Amino acid sequence: MTLSAIDLDHPPKRRLFGERQRFMLLLIAPAAAALAFFQILPIMTGANASFRDWSLHDPQMTWVGFKHYVYVLTDAGFVWTVMPNTIFFMVISVACSLVFGLALALLLNRNFPGRAVVQTILLLPLMVAPVVAAIMIRWMFNDQFGIVNVVLELVGLPGQPWLAQRWTAFSVILFADIWLWTPWFALLLLAGLQSLPREPFEAAAIDGASHWRVFRYLTVPMLRPVMVVCIVIRAIDAFRTFDIVWTISQGGPARSTELFSIYAYIEAFQAMNFARGSAAAMIGAAVIVVLAMIIFRVLNRWAEVSK
Amino acid sequence: MAEVILKNVGKSYGTVVAVRDVNLTIADEEFVVLVGPSGCGKSTTLRMVAGLEEITAGVIAIGGKVVNELPPKDRDIAMVFQNYALYQHMTVRDNLAFGLRNRKVPEAEIDKQIAYAVKMLGIEPLLERRPRQLSGGQQQRVALGRCLVRNPKVFLFDEPLSNLDAQLRSQMRLELKELRKRVPTTSIYVTHDQVEAMTLGDRIVVMKDGLVQQVGSPLDLYRRPANRFVAGFIGSPAMNFIDVKVDATDTQATVAADGLSLSFTGQKAATLRAHAGKTVVMGVRPQHLLLDGADASGLVRFAARLSTSEQLGDQQLLDLRVGGTVVRVSGIDPSLTLAEGTELKLGAVPDNVHFFDAEGGQVLTT
Repeated sequence: MTLSAIDLDHPPKRRLFGERQRFMLLLIAPAAAALAFFQILPIMTGANASFRDWSLHDPQMTWVGFKHYVYVLTDAGFVWTVMPNTIFFMVISVACSLVFGLALALLLNRNFPGRAVVQTILLLPLMVAPVVAAIMIRWMFNDQFGIVNVVLELVGLPGQPWLAQRWTAFSVILFADIWLWTPWFALLLLAGLQSLPREPFEAAAIDGASHWRVFRYLTVPMLRPVMVVCIVIRAIDAFRTFDIVWTISQGGPARSTELFSIYAYIEAFQAMNFARGSAAAMIGAAVIVVLAMIIFRVLNRWAEVSK
Repeated sequence: MAEVILKNVGKSYGTVVAVRDVNLTIADEEFVVLVGPSGCGKSTTLRMVAGLEEITAGVIAIGGKVVNELPPKDRDIAMVFQNYALYQHMTVRDNLAFGLRNRKVPEAEIDKQIAYAVKMLGIEPLLERRPRQLSGGQQQRVALGRCLVRNPKVFLFDEPLSNLDAQLRSQMRLELKELRKRVPTTSIYVTHDQVEAMTLGDRIVVMKDGLVQQVGSPLDLYRRPANRFVAGFIGSPAMNFIDVKVDATDTQATVAADGLSLSFTGQKAATLRAHAGKTVVMGVRPQHLLLDGADASGLVRFAARLSTSEQLGDQQLLDLRVGGTVVRVSGIDPSLTLAEGTELKLGAVPDNVHFFDAEGGQVLTT
């Protein structure tokens, strides 16, 4: 073909979606459809419900605007107990699991005889269903038949009615959650540790750094990006915790250990006020979105420094 | 200032032997280069000196003290790694200061040491930057600085230039030589690059398969290789090898191969006589093969047919066929035009012709 035969001034128009794009859209379509049906639609339904009087005895579903939001946000229980509980739970659970998980990961990162066995045992909680673990722990802390009180009384200490007092009950819940999630942190941090380059540590060995200084100035800074991801994922997850609390204390005694998910559940399915439950859930969702963004921003800056 | 002694040093991983029986005495302020192909045990040897690998046999002493059981930090050494191994999350200043702070050196003294090192290496403007903001050459300088500030007894270099591009590598090589003059410290330098080895080393240790092949000055290795491996490894382009059959009379010895028959008298003949009737390997460097017309007398001459020529600008490399083998010749006048298939006469000074045992590869001597 000669050059003059080609119309160089008017190249064919680009199509909106090329072959490649259309293929990609096709591949995404099933997942996108599932997401729309099972995530976006229920969320929209829930959001819609939170603006109406939507309960079984009032099938009108009257539009009431922000009435339920106002109720929840002015409910002293929600503002002064549920939200502080939730955030306190999130912070303590994530912080403790992170510290214990890091300690375990450091331990497992060393070579010692029987390491594989220790690793399997330590990772066992990951394989236990949270509800099963919670039932187990509830029984361990049972004030009449629980092993914890038996042991306490054996060594001469008074047994506690663990689940009948706010802070002891809260501690038991936290204990269960930390026990369940420490191995998860350990596993991810161990993977992080094993992917760290060897040379800086060798350089530090020649440089005469003590174990503490290696940990403080090398391991932790180099591990920061992994820690940030772990913390953010786990913080969001901890904020929504339901199963453990429901199984151990059902939010009691006297609604004093309720987290926001329990509050929403009780409002919706025990008080049968779906609208109010939805409103509580929406508020919780808004709070966690903001919180997660703040956590991520702050931690990301902290991790950036290490790069 | 210190002397480093390796006596019967060996390293094995289970049944796999990585290094065996290394014996080496490195004098105070001497610069020794360990060179060899990948997996020859040179890095492992260096890491044993550093204390990063356990020594499974033999003894290593630094500055008159056996260090076999000493952790790296107590050996008074400093090491430059191939990938620099800088602390990525610290500034250059903190990188340099880290080792000194570990040893609880007063801050004023640290500042003084850093000022000295950065001036020496010309990296003053980089002090507040982080390693990732630096180029490869700058990072390498910081890694050198980390060694300098400590003022150790021994410097260890583990292929420090192999991550740099060719141009920067030759520049850094020069700078290392300069630095060496100003800071004369006992050094062990590992590389797989024979040019680095030749240019930097006071002495070179050639290793292969965990065994030391030869120890000597650069010229020694070039002129008197102990075996076929060293002969082929040192020098570029690599030495030509031809299998030849030896035939000897009382006065002279003749070696012959397909398309080749060379007669030697004197010392060479005496060496060859002991191998009469056997096959040996003849080795000649491409630089030592002269084209026809060289009027020097006493050359051994043979004919060869040109198969390929490579123009390098400053010289030509020729590939010539001698019977069934290809022989390479370098240093040919670049303006000489030769047609493929031209018959050429090649010559070599008998002293530049080496003979090696066909099996073990050891150089033949009388």
